[in-house]
Amino acid sequence: MEFLLDGFKQALQLLRTGDPQVLEITVTTLQLAFWSTLLALVGGLPLGLALGIGSWRGRRPLLSLANAGMGLPPVVVGLVVALLLFRGAPLGNLNLLYTLNGVIVAQTLLALPLVVALTAAATQAVPAALLDQARAFGASSWQVGILALREARVGVFAATIAAIGSAFSEVGAVVLVGGNIQGESQTLASAVLVRVSSGEYGRAIALGLILMGIILLLAAILTVVQQRQSVPLLARSS
Amino acid sequence: MSKPILRARQARVIRGGVDVLHDVDLELHAGEVVAMLGPNGAGKSTLLAALSGLSPLRSGEIDVDGRVAAALQDSALASRSVDDNLRAALAWWGVPRAERGARAAAALGRMGASHLAARRATSLSGGEARRVHLARALALEPDVLLLDEPFAGLDAPTRAELLYDAASALRDSGRATLVVVHDRAEAWGLADRVVVMLAGRVEASGAPAELFARPPTAEVARFLGFSGAVREGDYTRLLRPQDVALDADGDLTAMVERAIPVEDGARLELVVPEGRFQAIAPLPGPPVGARVQVRLLGGVRFPRDGKPRQ
Repeated sequence: MEFLLDGFKQALQLLRTGDPQVLEITVTTLQLAFWSTLLALVGGLPLGLALGIGSWRGRRPLLSLANAGMGLPPVVVGLVVALLLFRGAPLGNLNLLYTLNGVIVAQTLLALPLVVALTAAATQAVPAALLDQARAFGASSWQVGILALREARVGVFAATIAAIGSAFSEVGAVVLVGGNIQGESQTLASAVLVRVSSGEYGRAIALGLILMGIILLLAAILTVVQQRQSVPLLARSS
Repeated sequence: MSKPILRARQARVIRGGVDVLHDVDLELHAGEVVAMLGPNGAGKSTLLAALSGLSPLRSGEIDVDGRVAAALQDSALASRSVDDNLRAALAWWGVPRAERGARAAAALGRMGASHLAARRATSLSGGEARRVHLARALALEPDVLLLDEPFAGLDAPTRAELLYDAASALRDSGRATLVVVHDRAEAWGLADRVVVMLAGRVEASGAPAELFARPPTAEVARFLGFSGAVREGDYTRLLRPQDVALDADGDLTAMVERAIPVEDGARLELVVPEGRFQAIAPLPGPPVGARVQVRLLGGVRFPRDGKPRQ
């Protein structure tokens, strides 16, 4: 038990002194979370919307695919992306292997099904009568889509929280695609793995505490925003 | 009459392989309010959807000289404030941002709903939501306004109050308004002209007093409340309860088959050898099985073989 206590003490020391290495890994993690979530939202919101409120051929198979994608094994995704990025592979000339950008690509692929499936589920629950009414008042497809997203905002926030959470906790794809290179592609979660392997429990606990702190803080902020958007049950009419 | 703003010719809509609108011809003119009556499944909502461009026609055509807005049956307000709901509709309609506030406020004022502007739409009662739904449609100032059962699902006092306010708010010399209504009282209260739809066809059209007094076909008459029928030679005489009077000197003897207490007396189901009809008697009314003398005061006659009415 003593080594655990020592680990916590060391962690607090690292956090108090603002260790540059820890800071660097934290910034890399935040960059990964920001860009992969942004890209997943840019691609996933329109697709989720089309699956949620559209009525076109092939919608159901795609919806099943998105739902299945939420359970994609990160290691497999990492492996496929790494194989595609190897020198001589189809995407080898992009030079993304063992870079943060490569990790962002892999993480975007993991977050995309989360955003698509959760957005589709949320917008599917928007009353069709409301969207029909908007069309009857002259709304364009674009305006109807915006209306559906806005009405489904609680679910869309849940999709965003899930995408950010997956970016913070991802290890397998980061190691395979990014090589877990400190100062380049190492994130808080993958750094914990390295530190534990090398017996640096203090650093591992420090990095773990930071990771947990960031996740809790961001989740709290997003949840507060999300719940502000929702309608209290007591405010609903009978 | 002026040139119509909207004209549907031979409009036909097929849904799920079934004809839900059959060759509908309809004209709407500027300044008139037309009420559409019909039983459930008659195709009223489908016609509104077709006229507003939401449902494609299989054949026929719809010409509109201007823009059409349809307020569908569900109030369907977004979960934001009432004012924001109106502003959103105005944005969809293409009204410049600078004009939206004033137009929203004016429309809410016309529907007596100014006090609801800041309320969240999700907190409105059914009657308030209907009022806001109508105000939202009026704010658009369309050339043709289509309203699908704007008073549906309201209790009687709320419906009466909203009907009273809507009757004046819907009057606009430049606009044609078509309102699908649930009962004849609403049509009386709102419309210059009544259209009756049965089984996907427009079966009758005319001024309310004219149409309710002399429906053109037996089917329309039955729908409009002529629920009694007696055979008279080659004709069938269709009767409403108000066309039958209990009169000791009446020339017809009828048997009371059923007696149901209603608000203004007892509604009697009367049977004669030539048919059956209803009458209203003061309470307590004659007992079931009693024989009463009645006089037929009016009604409409139709040939039994379906030839035109005499």
